[in-house]
Amino acid sequence: MSNRRFRTWAGILVGTLAGVIAALAHHAFSAEFDAKRPVNLKGTVVKMEWINPHAWIHIDVNDDGGKVERWMIEGGTPNTLFRRGFTKTSLMPGTVIVVDGYQAKDGTQKANGRDLTFEDGRKLFLGSSGTGAPRDGRDPIER
Amino acid sequence: MRRSLIAPLAAMLTAVPLTLAAADGGGDGDQSWTPPRTAWGVPDLRGVWDFRTITPLERPAKLGDKQVFEGDEAAEFRVAELGRRDKDRRASDGISAEQDVRNAYNQFWWDYGDELTEDRRTSLIVRPESGRIPALTPKGRERYSAMRAARARPPRTPVDRGVAERCILGFNAGPPYSPSAYNNNVHIFQSPGYAVLLIEMVNDARIVPLDRRGHLPAHIRQWRGDARGRWDGDTLVVESRNFTDKTSFRGSGANMALTERFTRVGPDRVLYEYTVSDPESFKAPWTAVIPMKKTAEPMFEYACHEGNYSMFTMLEGAREGERAGGHETGGDGQ
Repeated sequence: MSNRRFRTWAGILVGTLAGVIAALAHHAFSAEFDAKRPVNLKGTVVKMEWINPHAWIHIDVNDDGGKVERWMIEGGTPNTLFRRGFTKTSLMPGTVIVVDGYQAKDGTQKANGRDLTFEDGRKLFLGSSGTGAPRDGRDPIER
Repeated sequence: MRRSLIAPLAAMLTAVPLTLAAADGGGDGDQSWTPPRTAWGVPDLRGVWDFRTITPLERPAKLGDKQVFEGDEAAEFRVAELGRRDKDRRASDGISAEQDVRNAYNQFWWDYGDELTEDRRTSLIVRPESGRIPALTPKGRERYSAMRAARARPPRTPVDRGVAERCILGFNAGPPYSPSAYNNNVHIFQSPGYAVLLIEMVNDARIVPLDRRGHLPAHIRQWRGDARGRWDGDTLVVESRNFTDKTSFRGSGANMALTERFTRVGPDRVLYEYTVSDPESFKAPWTAVIPMKKTAEPMFEYACHEGNYSMFTMLEGAREGERAGGHETGGDGQ
């Protein structure tokens, strides 16, 4: 499919379905987290809470002054973890992860885990392109 | 008896190359196929049924009267739709910080499915022919606007947030059921005289008596409505009344009359059809049809109240906004 035709369909979709998008998330993340407070945290996993409606990962982060701060990182439904083969041993305490997300509006040490990676850059929660294909640049929806 | 849409849809299915029958080797176009029966002689709908699809509920306006994609259109629409939903897109893909927050987390967590319905329809809505929800009545518009405005305000208490965020009803659980972000599975149980519809979202079980008893008195209102079932041939028909004014399905009100029809059309398919009739809210009734696929996957518990930290975070966020000058909004969730 040509880029032009893709843009046409994308335009139709964006224009007509925008009103539906907000109804798809379980929670109003824009009510919880602040777009003006992006965070990039490197921390050590203390525990992972497999709870509903959303899983939370607790990490210890060393600040610049050597002080350790405990952060809570919000993920999605634990159902998805089961279905994707993620188990309770997949993320053990002591693992170092990097959190790319947004801090809670109330200024507490909570953030959403927009993207989570291991130290070496591998994604902790690896999504496919949506078609089931790996992200290798060959899928037409990858741009 | 109201005419079902199953027959016209079956005709539509046979008019396009990708029929349900072709897909599962078993059934929708095969009129000789007979659904299995329970030991007590009614059609057997038992099992876990997956209703994921990326076919939109409403037909995109620019598609006009086109009811079914032709040629390469379905594949092109699918690719564009998957691209639009792709939560791995970030700032380098043109996503604003505000949208990035709304996307919440990356693609791993989302489970919309990745296919259009096999009959290539352009919308799940089949009536009216526009494929779109009919216009709201003035009363319906007024109520809908008030609900939206209330939701846009910073919440003072949990009651100010939507029922999904409060873990009362799942956002895809309706009723009626509506494909959404994840947990798009319904487990149907049957016993003599009853059917139970357990949806994976928020463990929502609807117990449907089939003994032709009447509905509850009009003053008794229920979150999911008051469901009563019956058999119409091989179709399980569930009529729900007595909804509340605390919920709304795409603009519906407490007096919505919801009719759902479950028809087993093949070994691995149930056609789920629902009609929303609510003259107080909509200028006309409307009907959607969603194919459900049998899945061997188990249902998982979704005990939403278990650790709903998010409600505290939302309320704290609202208080922080007030301290900062009162410009906080309620966000854009349910």
